[in-house]
Amino acid sequence: MGVIGYGLGVIGAGLAIGLAAFGATGAMARQPEIQGRAFTVFILASAFAEALGLIGFVLTLIS
Amino acid sequence: MDAFAALPEEINHLVAEFSSAPVAGDLTVGLTQYSFWLLVAAVVFAVVMAVFVKKQTLVPRGVFVNGVEYLIEYVQNDVAKGVVGTGWRRHFPFLATIFLFILINNFIGLIPGCKPGTGAIGCTAALALVTFVYFVYFGCKKHGVIGYLKSLAPAGVAFPMNVFVWVIEVFSLLLRPITLAIRLFCNMFAGHIVMGSFSIMAAIFAEPLLEHFSAMNAVGALPSLAWLAILLIIYAVELIVAFVQAYVFTVLAAVYIQIAEAEGH
Repeated sequence: MGVIGYGLGVIGAGLAIGLAAFGATGAMARQPEIQGRAFTVFILASAFAEALGLIGFVLTLIS
Repeated sequence: MDAFAALPEEINHLVAEFSSAPVAGDLTVGLTQYSFWLLVAAVVFAVVMAVFVKKQTLVPRGVFVNGVEYLIEYVQNDVAKGVVGTGWRRHFPFLATIFLFILINNFIGLIPGCKPGTGAIGCTAALALVTFVYFVYFGCKKHGVIGYLKSLAPAGVAFPMNVFVWVIEVFSLLLRPITLAIRLFCNMFAGHIVMGSFSIMAAIFAEPLLEHFSAMNAVGALPSLAWLAILLIIYAVELIVAFVQAYVFTVLAAVYIQIAEAEGH
């Protein structure tokens, strides 16, 4: 049951990281000179989103 | 397929291994394996800084001095100057300490056989609590206690909405240390569980080969090569995560300090 819950929870995090990558690649394609900064912001944003997915993972394990 | 039969038990064993267990004393007074590695990290941190201060010359020489200086300048320019803005000089020591401490903890956890001090919820909660007290203290110092409480609600909102927004802002203020603590803890804990599971996978398939060498067992051990490759990739990702999580914690601390000190938030 817990594994199913984690699967459901990770949908949101997956969508969020996908959206972040979408925005970052779009920005890089429009303005290649912004690549470095866009990549940093992308890593930051995916770290935030990833944390939400990991909360689900850890809750599955410890509860 | 009998390789997978042993998997749930191994995973349970792995998770049990990662929960805090006392190595000396008991859970109330004593050392858990996490606090032991936390102490190790603190000692490493102190030694690195002492050596760095001693070796410092006008023109930095060598990989070590330049490397530490690069990290410190990174915090100074990217986090302190970039996020806190004016008055960054006062907050720079705090931010640099937090960044380097978490970084050293995370990297020590990546050495096989060691555990990250930040992989226990108690440690990250303490770090987050220190950050919380720090930015509330500086907010109160800047605006006064009443002024700080008032500044939580944005200026220029009409009366009844004002109170409503203030309540929401107080909730978000109280949630900040919790999210800080849980983000760091979950990243370190989950990252190590994932690495552990993949090494278990690699070991399970290779086990028959180690016990008894035959062509059948050699073919059966082939999947463990794939698991090993994935393990290496995950390890590389964890190297990035160790750095990014230290960076995220520091940036968020800087953002909260900046918000607390901002005029007319």
